[in-house]
Amino acid sequence: MTTIAVTGKGGTGKTVLSALLIHFISQKTTNVLAVDADPDSNLPDALGVAELVENTLGDVREVFQVSRDEMGTTNKEQWLEGKVYAEVICECDNFDLLVMGRPEGEGCYCFANNLLRGVLRRLMRHYDYIIIDSEAGLEHFSRKTIESADYIIVVTDMSKKGLSTAKRIKELSEELDLGFKEIFLVGNRITNKEAEEVIRSFAEQNNIKLLEFLPYDEKIAELDLKGEPIVNLPEDSAYYQKVKGIAEKIEELHVRSITS
Amino acid sequence: MVERKRIEIPEGVKIKESVGEETEFPFDISPMYEGERVRKGDMYVELGGTAQSGFELVLALPEEEVEDMKVTLVGPDLDEMEEGKAYPYAMIYYIAGSQVEQDLEPVIERRNHDFQNYIEGYMHLNQRYDIWIRISKGAMKKGLKSLTQIAKATMLLFKNELPFIEKIEALYITDGNLVDKLLNEVAMPIYDERDARVESLHDEDVDEFYSCTLCQSFAPTNVCVISPDRPSLCGAISWFDGRAAAKVDPEGPNRAIPKGELLDPITGEYSGVNEFAKEESGGEYDRIKLHSFFENPHTSCGCFEVIGFYMPEVDGIGWVHRGYPEPAPNGLTFSTMAGQTGGGKQVVGFLGVGISYFRSKKFIQADGGWYRTVWMPKELKERVAKYIPEDVRDKIATEEDATTIEELKEFLKKVDHPVVTGVVRPVDGKKITDGWAEEEEIEEVAEEVAEEPATVEQTAQPQPMQIQPVQQMSVQMPQMPAFQMPQIQLSSQPSTPGIKLIIKDAKIVIDKVIIRSEEKKGGK
Repeated sequence: MTTIAVTGKGGTGKTVLSALLIHFISQKTTNVLAVDADPDSNLPDALGVAELVENTLGDVREVFQVSRDEMGTTNKEQWLEGKVYAEVICECDNFDLLVMGRPEGEGCYCFANNLLRGVLRRLMRHYDYIIIDSEAGLEHFSRKTIESADYIIVVTDMSKKGLSTAKRIKELSEELDLGFKEIFLVGNRITNKEAEEVIRSFAEQNNIKLLEFLPYDEKIAELDLKGEPIVNLPEDSAYYQKVKGIAEKIEELHVRSITS
Repeated sequence: MVERKRIEIPEGVKIKESVGEETEFPFDISPMYEGERVRKGDMYVELGGTAQSGFELVLALPEEEVEDMKVTLVGPDLDEMEEGKAYPYAMIYYIAGSQVEQDLEPVIERRNHDFQNYIEGYMHLNQRYDIWIRISKGAMKKGLKSLTQIAKATMLLFKNELPFIEKIEALYITDGNLVDKLLNEVAMPIYDERDARVESLHDEDVDEFYSCTLCQSFAPTNVCVISPDRPSLCGAISWFDGRAAAKVDPEGPNRAIPKGELLDPITGEYSGVNEFAKEESGGEYDRIKLHSFFENPHTSCGCFEVIGFYMPEVDGIGWVHRGYPEPAPNGLTFSTMAGQTGGGKQVVGFLGVGISYFRSKKFIQADGGWYRTVWMPKELKERVAKYIPEDVRDKIATEEDATTIEELKEFLKKVDHPVVTGVVRPVDGKKITDGWAEEEEIEEVAEEVAEEPATVEQTAQPQPMQIQPVQQMSVQMPQMPAFQMPQIQLSSQPSTPGIKLIIKDAKIVIDKVIIRSEEKKGGK
């Protein structure tokens, strides 16, 4: 199992990158779990499978909170597991999709989350790849709903804020003890050499491995605007090819981890 | 009680039988397959689920009625099924053993889920009449031919993992008519019977309670004690959940608490609980009485769904739930009270509970239970109305009847609530409160005590940390003189270690006093 968390400041294009990585990797193996762990993002839309999503993990957790008193002696962990498998995990053609959904409401979620941690841990270990589109606060990691990540890919644009968020994510992921093997930086929508230099020296200073610079692509903006799936990006575009390269690198890392 | 007996198989149906242990299976068996998801595209067939009926049931039978390691399959087997389709499915196990009791049926039944998920390429989800199974194409390719192989492997696991099962026999059914018939006539009545036990099982019927320390990250000294008559404060964990969790992970957040000796049946004090509380709270508390509001109450973590608060002015208890944003008649909101009470403390005068505790027959029974309850928000009251004894149901005020102490007093007097004349607690028929004293008397005392606060503050300062929450509260809300009450009492007995008793003494006299004097000030 290789877990990749794609994160970064909002609006830097991490969902685009996540969707394309899922798209490429799931063409090689269908044993892929895509996780939307950012309540603000729209990974299902980017993947073109939004209409298949029935429920989010958050929805099911809310149902649990209100109906648990009436459950009698039924086993609550099995109840939650059944809901997650039947209603939350969305079976797409080449991959499974799990949407974490809304954050917790009022009241105590300790028990529900504790049960869900167990359910997700047992579920996730069976996938070859788990690709997580995660908000910058890494909330699901800090709550341990998602246990760990092998690789963290931080996406930044040309803004100073994008970089300072990247730095914070690096610090946070170390604090959270995620046990990751490597943290990568991807520069997105980079249009000039000067920005590349700034990002390159930032990566060096902060000990983050620079993975790739992705260009600005008008077609992405257009797809976004129309609400069309990002995976419809033309195959001959530079953006498409570069992300394909990142996917190949991840596959190499995965193969190395299971053979070594 | 539903009679336990072997299922009669109707004549003329297709049957496959197999007896004896098998050791060779065409699939791996290991806990590492738990959680494995068989995707639709990889699925050979689906059993039960949303499209077809299904259920699983364990029946404890006398030894002579169980034929060990026998499996009977009624209906089509795997090799007669069409790929990609869903079929009805029932799994019934007869078990026997000198220690096998009917009580264990549900405990054993839920292990079917665990054991079947150890089987490679076999996904088992849900429970009871909700079961949903998928068998993968891969498993069929590896040589799986018959559901009898699944039954044999499952029975083997049952016997290996639960050695008290001396004999086990399986009846698997894929015949839709028979599945439906047995679900309605046999299984459902048994499930209903089990659920009814939630209401009928009491603290005295079990040997163990369960702890929950999930909240200790927020409330390090909190010890949630979960008994049949007292679910967790967060409302999420019943005794049955605690038992299930402790069985799976005995060292996890839900551990068994041997209840020990019953020290007091009224307050629900057990030696085992006391020892456990002492250990888990790091010596902070050494007594917890499960069904007491005033004396050594259960600690409150911060997760509780409802907070109870004592109102000395009426000598009654109010309850307010998390979702009620307005101040309760004592002038405080849920969040203010919760903030002061949470953190795993025993704060006398406040108690956090889960909503399901209102269903308990032992609901704060030491302090009068429902007969001491004077106020709750309408929403909460409606939710638990059917658990409130009829003779007091209409006497408990909601925000529609009273939002202040004065209005509450009027209301209680009007409906003649038990607190007005004195509460007799139903559990032993003892009269535990005197009722409201004469108005005039109270006025007098009021003035006496009202002059004292200055000295009171001073003497109260060096007191040990137990009064801390009270002090904080009075600092934050100086206009709430009710909370100075315990300090006043402390000054008269400076070295008293036990706060609880003192407060009980004080409540009527002093609090009434203070509220009175506040009103006078307002009047002038």
